[in-house]
Amino acid sequence: MSRRLWPAAALIAVTVACFAAAPALNPATLNLGVTLLSYLAIAQAWNVLAGYSGQVSLGTSAFVATGGYTTALLLAHAGISWPLAFAGAAIAAALLAALLSVPLLRLRGDYFAIGTLAISIAVQALISNWPWAGGASGLTLPIGVLPSGGKLFQLAVLVAAGAMAVALYAKQSAFGLRLAAIRDHEPAAAGLGVSVYRHRLAALLLYSAIAGLAGAVIAFQLIVISPDGIASVSWSLNAVLMTVVGGTGTVMGPVIGVAIVYYGLTWELQNQQTFSQVIEGILLIMVVRFAPSGVWPLLCAGVRRMTGLRPAARAGTPEPAQEAQVADDEMARDLV
Amino acid sequence: MNVEILAAGILTGGLYALIGLGISLTFGVLGMMNLAHGEFVIAGAYLASLLVTGAGWDPLAVLPLAMIAVALIAYPLQRFLLTPLLRASKTAPLVATFGLLLLAEALFQAVFGTHPKTLPAPYAAAGITIFGIRVQTVYVIAFALTVVLCGATHLLLTRTRAGSAVRAASADPETAAILGINVGRVYAMTLAFAAALAAAGGVMTGVAQSFTPTSGLPLLLTGFAVMALAGIGTVGGVLLAGVTLGVIQSVAVSVFGGGWSDVVVYLVFFLALAIRPQGLFRRAAA
Repeated sequence: MSRRLWPAAALIAVTVACFAAAPALNPATLNLGVTLLSYLAIAQAWNVLAGYSGQVSLGTSAFVATGGYTTALLLAHAGISWPLAFAGAAIAAALLAALLSVPLLRLRGDYFAIGTLAISIAVQALISNWPWAGGASGLTLPIGVLPSGGKLFQLAVLVAAGAMAVALYAKQSAFGLRLAAIRDHEPAAAGLGVSVYRHRLAALLLYSAIAGLAGAVIAFQLIVISPDGIASVSWSLNAVLMTVVGGTGTVMGPVIGVAIVYYGLTWELQNQQTFSQVIEGILLIMVVRFAPSGVWPLLCAGVRRMTGLRPAARAGTPEPAQEAQVADDEMARDLV
Repeated sequence: MNVEILAAGILTGGLYALIGLGISLTFGVLGMMNLAHGEFVIAGAYLASLLVTGAGWDPLAVLPLAMIAVALIAYPLQRFLLTPLLRASKTAPLVATFGLLLLAEALFQAVFGTHPKTLPAPYAAAGITIFGIRVQTVYVIAFALTVVLCGATHLLLTRTRAGSAVRAASADPETAAILGINVGRVYAMTLAFAAALAAAGGVMTGVAQSFTPTSGLPLLLTGFAVMALAGIGTVGGVLLAGVTLGVIQSVAVSVFGGGWSDVVVYLVFFLALAIRPQGLFRRAAA
């Protein structure tokens, strides 16, 4: 039992520490922190959907944009307080997902991926053509009533911690096991009595709600939001990139991925946007080709080897995906 | 609504079919969603622009060269990068082609800049009258090209030995390999062929309208929309789906205004996918 409790305890400890540290940090650090935490929440949401339930979405930006725009519109037009607008972001994004689930959950694999890609581009095009939401030029949030500085950082910490908690739950609970069963072999899971539709829907709703909350945080941070910014496909791309680099289907993967991709590339190279995108593209291809399980599992394996702990000695969940991978690799080699 | 709007829709649809055909072929034979297909289209346009704006050639004369050049880029990508990934996991090729998309966008930006480009040609803005209907010449040429390339693809797949090998590899790669077909090479040839079709579409797109380093993604989605409408396995269905999409878009633009042209395509795409994931015009696989 303790083995299952200590990650949760560590998560709570880190969250409380970040929360307490907020007043002591300078504005630049807080700003960077909010950006990183938003990315972490989005990547982790994608990880829950794609890594644990096996539904690859290329349309994360649709839900980020829905969250951001809902918050902005509620603040600008309805004049309510920011916590309510913030909650509205999660509700609107989940509602959109619930509505879209009717056609989306009929789709599997690659079809699901391009279906979500179409949704994100359609959402971006719709917002651009919607005068009430500012059209293509965007919308400015009423600056006086927004959380900022330390408070915004604390909000971002909560959203990211929530996303981490959902991933941890998906890793350790019976719910998560059922998701993994659907991911690995849907007919077998259905045969064993798992309600495939309900579990896929649950993962989709969790994913969209977290992405929506992250969208609200991003809107608070950017203040001016536009279809080219908050509805940009780059949110979808980064969610995939960060999670795949870090390690899909692992709780720590997105954390490592955000650190490598954002801190290592985007931030260090922000004066050379083009060069940064070249590196990102190459990195994504290299990771998929040579380290398909991501950096975090490689790190874990390295540490295990150094400490002399054999993988079999760990009581953690076995990873059927990797075993299947080996068999499939052999098949792939036959093909070439 | 008048006849000219319909005619414009049908002719634009030809271009969509050309882009959709490559995507459909890639997915039908390789079982792979190629997210970099739109980049092949734009690569065709940019490579053609080197000779068209650089040396003053006619885009139609450059077209075969652009097709060959893009096919030569696509072949090793499939042979040495994507085929080994195909059996690794469901997401690996998708993510890798996504990486190629990012890489290509950035390279176009670095080499050619972000300014919109066009391929100048005497027929770019001209119009002609066919059966009393006024249409843009470039779209007539593009449509004719599409029909020729679709016909050639169909004959290649159904009447040649290479086409038999492609269909065998598509139906059952393991058995095809046992029977002595080099499946890795067939896969690479298929992607190279699809990329050549994309490049042809790119050159015609470049003559008809301006393009930027990021034009690939909307074109990719249009191609996916065609494939979703058509289903897999029939060349004629792709042509019909492209024309259908072109007409729907053309009518929608005339009713709602130009800003909605893309929205309509994505909505049609999504609805087609949701209602009939196997495609509207699907027959038994060729």
